Amino acid sequence: MGLPAKFDVAVVGAGPAGASAAYTLARKGFKVVVLERGRAPGSKNLFGGRVYSRPLERIFEGFRNEAPIERWVKREILSFMTEDGMVSVEYTSNGSTSFTAYLSKLSAWMASKAESAGAVIVTDVRVDDVLMENGRAVGIVSGGDRLYADVVVIAEGVNRLLCEKMNIVTPLSPEDVALGVKHVIRLGTDKINERFGLDSDEGLAWFLVGKATDYMPGGAFLYTNSATVSLGIVVFLSHAVREVKRHVYDVLEDLRASLPFVRLLEGGSLVEYGAHLTPEAGLRMVPRKLYGDGFLIAGDAAGLLINLGYTVRGVDMAAFSGYLAAEAVEEAHSLGGYTSQNLSCYERKLNDSFIMKEMKRHSMVQKLMVKGHVFELYPHVLVGAAKRLFEFEETSPKLLEAVNDSLKGRCSRLRVLLDVVTLMRGP
Amino acid sequence: MAQQAATKQRIKRIRLEDALNANVWDVDTKPHIIVDSEKCAGCADKACTYLCPGGCFTLLAGKVLYSYEGCLECGTCRVVCPKGAVTWNYPLSGRGVQYRFG
Ligand SMILES: Cc1cc2nc3c(=O)[nH]c(=O)nc-3n(C[C@H](O)[C@H](O)[C@H](O)COP(=O)(O)OP(=O)(O)OC[C@H]3O[C@@H](n4cnc5c(N)ncnc54)[C@H](O)[C@@H]3O)c2cc1C
Repeated sequence: MGLPAKFDVAVVGAGPAGASAAYTLARKGFKVVVLERGRAPGSKNLFGGRVYSRPLERIFEGFRNEAPIERWVKREILSFMTEDGMVSVEYTSNGSTSFTAYLSKLSAWMASKAESAGAVIVTDVRVDDVLMENGRAVGIVSGGDRLYADVVVIAEGVNRLLCEKMNIVTPLSPEDVALGVKHVIRLGTDKINERFGLDSDEGLAWFLVGKATDYMPGGAFLYTNSATVSLGIVVFLSHAVREVKRHVYDVLEDLRASLPFVRLLEGGSLVEYGAHLTPEAGLRMVPRKLYGDGFLIAGDAAGLLINLGYTVRGVDMAAFSGYLAAEAVEEAHSLGGYTSQNLSCYERKLNDSFIMKEMKRHSMVQKLMVKGHVFELYPHVLVGAAKRLFEFEETSPKLLEAVNDSLKGRCSRLRVLLDVVTLMRGP
Repeated sequence: MAQQAATKQRIKRIRLEDALNANVWDVDTKPHIIVDSEKCAGCADKACTYLCPGGCFTLLAGKVLYSYEGCLECGTCRVVCPKGAVTWNYPLSGRGVQYRFG
């Protein structure tokens, strides 16, 4: 690879986790190399479309002014969809805590910040193994090449083939992950503003459950970028392997070609179609130990992501875990070396940060979501109630009557109560 | 009714092949997906043929045919195969799909 024979730190993966670790370490004066399999940072990264800003602002200097932010989210919609109709909750505000973005561009920006801070970024390199000597990580192997480093930060993303080879985790099972497929559709800024009721710097984040995924657990999303719209679906593989009835592409295409999307996106042209997995198992996917002799694991590889049903937090969690990994490296260095014991401060840092607190706080939502009935039952109950409420001839029902009528025959009130209790129960 | 008909007319399906063609590719000459057809034969559901978003797995006369050209590098095939028949890794040297937006 024509590089110095040895670095202080080798980072695998230039996604949000790896780039944040590298940036932070380089600024602390460590000699860092990042190994990325893509041709350029960002070229292998794909996500839905909305990022929570605050954690990134804590990591990257000048984030708000420099980062490739598309639009600040000012409008949120959560919709429950059936064949019969759609019930939506909408929220508009003037806040600016999250923004829409392209992950390729955001990752590339983060990597360029790491590079300016002094990290060496090597692309086109697929790491095949973490190099182990006497039970401790001492570098990486790619093809026939070895590269030595005092400590390795593994930020390889959700498939975590390296962690699997190291026997830190078992191979992914359908229960662990969801598949996301996404269209990026160019519509032009004016049309987006007009059709979605936005100003040029205002964004929409729209989440849909129910019919949008053929009632499979997961959901559909639509995010407005400056001149394009990201439209996609996410399906939990645990259910999809049994319940999918047609090709997953057709589920997405059907959504795009149905109301209201076919009208909203009319005249748009498809500029990209992509897919990626995402952690979905909550704490279950987090390896027992996120560190060992000479290595740390960050981001999706560590299973650090929360899906609340109406929003996904992955990028900010990945980036902040990379940042904390960098802090842990610094602390271990000051303690005299990268032993498992010295690096264990990483776990403490994660536990003290919003990352593990959030993972634990929301673990019940994830438990509820994998019970498939939620995605079929509630859209039907809500659309049924709305139909009763709004489509009457002479006698108009009372609000509670409409809800009760809709519940009747679909499920017991006990079922609903149990779901609510599941949600309310703490971890 | 007229409006519904008008809406119907506007709906143009994008075929999967055309969707994949919207992407930038630099396809490797070496396959990064290999299926063990013996193991594969023992599987009833063949979830890969529904869930591979690139359409890399298709059924022909009850057998799974596979290709790696439209691979979006998500890794789903490896996860959903109940027989462990799929050997999958990322392509080498930055080859494969080149996401510009992601
Ligand atoms: C459909 C979908 C929608 C999502 N929506 C959102 C959203 O709206 N908001 C949000 O915050 N999060 C979202 N997420 C989650 C978010 O994308 C991830 O949590 C985040 O990208 C994780 O960052 P990471 O750096 O850990 O991993 P990744 O972004 O996957 O980066 C890993 C990097 O490592 C590289 N790599 C992997 N293996 C090797 C190897 N062996 N050698 C060299 N390089 C390697 C890859 O090429 C890649 O660049 C979504 C995810 C999906 C799939």
